[in-house]
Amino acid sequence: MKIELQELVHSYPSGDRALDGVNLTFEGQEPVAIIGQNGAGKTTLVKHLNGILRPSSGHVLIDGTDIETASTAKWSAKLGYIFQNPDDQLFLESVRKEFEFGPRQIGMGQEEIDRRMERVADLVGLTGKLDTHPFDLGPTDKKFCTIGAVLMMNTQVVIFDEPTCGQDKAGNERLGRIIAELGRQGRLCIAISHDMKFVSTNFSRVVLMCQGKVLLDGPKDQVFSQESVLKQAYVTPPPLTRVAQESGLDRPVFTVPAFIEAVKDAGQH
Amino acid sequence: MAKLCVADGSGNFLDRMNPLVKILGIFSFGLGALIWPDFSLGLVLLLVLFLLAAVAGILPSFSKLILGFGLPVSIMLLFIQGCYSPKNRVIIASWGFLHLGLEGTLYAAKIVSTLLVFLGAFYIVNKTTYTGRLVAALSGIGLPAKIGYLVLASLNVVPQMEHRIKVIRQAQSARGLETGGGLISRIKAYLPLLGPVVLSSLTDSQERGMTLETRGFGIKGVRQSSYVKVDWRKSDQLACWLLLVFFLLVLLASILSRTGIYPFTYDWGGGR
Amino acid sequence: MTSIIEVEDFSFRYRNASSAALRHLSFEVERGSFFCIVGANGSGKSTLCNALVGLIPHYFVGRSGGGIRVKGNQVADTSIPELSKHIGLVFQNPFNQLSYTAGTVAEELAYGLGNHGVPRELMEEKVRQVAALMHLESVIDKNPLELSGGQVQRVAFGSTFIMEPDILVLDECTAQLDPLGSEEIFDIVKRLNDRGITVVMVDHDMERVARCADQVMVLDGGRLVAIGSPQEVLSDPRTMDHGVDLPDFAKLSLALQAEGYPVDRIHTTEEPTVSMVKELLS
Repeated sequence: MKIELQELVHSYPSGDRALDGVNLTFEGQEPVAIIGQNGAGKTTLVKHLNGILRPSSGHVLIDGTDIETASTAKWSAKLGYIFQNPDDQLFLESVRKEFEFGPRQIGMGQEEIDRRMERVADLVGLTGKLDTHPFDLGPTDKKFCTIGAVLMMNTQVVIFDEPTCGQDKAGNERLGRIIAELGRQGRLCIAISHDMKFVSTNFSRVVLMCQGKVLLDGPKDQVFSQESVLKQAYVTPPPLTRVAQESGLDRPVFTVPAFIEAVKDAGQH
Repeated sequence: MAKLCVADGSGNFLDRMNPLVKILGIFSFGLGALIWPDFSLGLVLLLVLFLLAAVAGILPSFSKLILGFGLPVSIMLLFIQGCYSPKNRVIIASWGFLHLGLEGTLYAAKIVSTLLVFLGAFYIVNKTTYTGRLVAALSGIGLPAKIGYLVLASLNVVPQMEHRIKVIRQAQSARGLETGGGLISRIKAYLPLLGPVVLSSLTDSQERGMTLETRGFGIKGVRQSSYVKVDWRKSDQLACWLLLVFFLLVLLASILSRTGIYPFTYDWGGGR
Repeated sequence: MTSIIEVEDFSFRYRNASSAALRHLSFEVERGSFFCIVGANGSGKSTLCNALVGLIPHYFVGRSGGGIRVKGNQVADTSIPELSKHIGLVFQNPFNQLSYTAGTVAEELAYGLGNHGVPRELMEEKVRQVAALMHLESVIDKNPLELSGGQVQRVAFGSTFIMEPDILVLDECTAQLDPLGSEEIFDIVKRLNDRGITVVMVDHDMERVARCADQVMVLDGGRLVAIGSPQEVLSDPRTMDHGVDLPDFAKLSLALQAEGYPVDRIHTTEEPTVSMVKELLS
């Protein structure tokens, strides 16, 4: 599936531009992280991908079809969107019903729903809690319930808005597994995140936004090497990357093993 | 929330006027119209209110309220009282089996004019008073903090809930729920959303209540102060006196008239 | 040094809960120190914050044992508004922290002062100072309900410390902020701490905890499982067994050590790590 944003502009009634001429293409299965300051336009951007917000000017094309041609509910069969606040999304009396809701809306058969249920529940760690009321879940499980409910719909694209917000170590690790699994299944994951550690460990492509514009777009090692542009957008690279840069390693690193590797290589020269 | 004027009370003289004086105004006008023997004073006060609304720059919405509410109510009351009041003696018009009585008509006119004076005065005060100032003024004369909080919070919660409903609707449409389209499909789409909105605003308000206490809400033995400045100007003093004198004069006149000592109002043949 | 918070064998179980949220906690927080609480979600961090400011037992119903003293006041015997003079809490969700009675940010900031009967002139003065400190000048006359999440969090923060409590409790209070926004908040917290205000902070960002804290306490399943300096607690791989990450710097030091590099100390902060790596490379 291919998503194209062409000269996308979104203006508020006040005339201020939340998005100021964005051109981007999302394609394939390599996970994309969108980073940037609060107010840079990240959420406004991704809310255009399934038509929750409509362009003031410019176009959003899904496989060549303009987003304007259908309602968000129709697009939801192709693009799943996980909101930042679980309380906005959950309203049924059990996790199982939440999981069934979306698929039913887009006309998925009961057999397929049942088949997916087990796998998704396992992936989001709610296997034993399918009959629990979402309100009785802790904040972490609640978030994973909303993620599961969207994953159930088996959409080609899954959009996350700040998935790490309020997560602990275990939650972050589970999110990483979910993103990797989506990639294995050939599905595209797009996520907004402030957490540079999370971004650099789980995503290969990074889009940096600032004041409604795209400043950088490319593989993470390239994006995180552009120190001056990052600074301009008030983004600091993740801790290990900073240490590598400051101590003069020859390449950007994001993980401890990669760091050790780089140290070894530097030692051999 | 009703916030047409800025917090420091600049703007026209109605915006600047102390909220307490405005409340006095509502009662002075409304009660004045009520105790006056007939509808004439109510009518005059209604005209005054139209003038005030024009000064405050809210004439269109004020007229809409008075006409939109006043006309139907007048017709209804006129019909009920004018045609069926047991007080009816003098018949002023007849259509077949319907006989419009003078006494009932006058009574209806009195009720309607009083009602509209109260309503109109309240509307103008509401539109020209920043709620924060009103509560600050009321606290100043000893309104308990908890009641002040209830007034302000309930006014603020509505827009907040509207905002939440919007986000929740977005979230559900992103899960394939059609939230647009015809009335039926909309109602079908909204019903399941009511649960989470109500439930989450309940838990929110619980959390909110407890955060307020951590900011000293409900502390004992301290007289609360307010950031919102409420002045008591000379003009407020003057308006206060005028309103009181007006009401006392109306009261005196009504007593004189009703006891028959000096029945100076025109005898419509009813109205008592 | 004297203790400003004393927790003695404190336990708490929410009503209807199947297990206790906090179990036999005993620790002290020194006046003027920066005290960090870390742990997995559900380990009892927020419950403990609520207990420190008196929401437990005055607001949340349940069974508690032991006691907590804040500046010598037994929390169980002191009302929440009374405690609010000494200890202020910034919650996770800033929107629920608004008073919902203020038409402007200035009024919201002043709300707590009003409850304590602070005269208007002084209020104005303090609102001005806090607005400047929190970069809220440009929105000071706006309705707080119309602000972005990050701005609301700054308002929530400002309206807590405008009351100048001796102790600030911060429960993951930067979740809504972007990295720059949270760094700004932490600079302010650090400055307040330097001025002698005691800070108790719950945070998931281990690099930040390692940098700021004087003391780190690890909770797991409502139990205190480790307490000490960040160097002690956050360089110890066993901490990870309790669902808590180590700072990336510590993980790097440990990995280098495991690879046989001459690492004599497990570093938890950035600068020493950089020096160490530079030394290894030279």
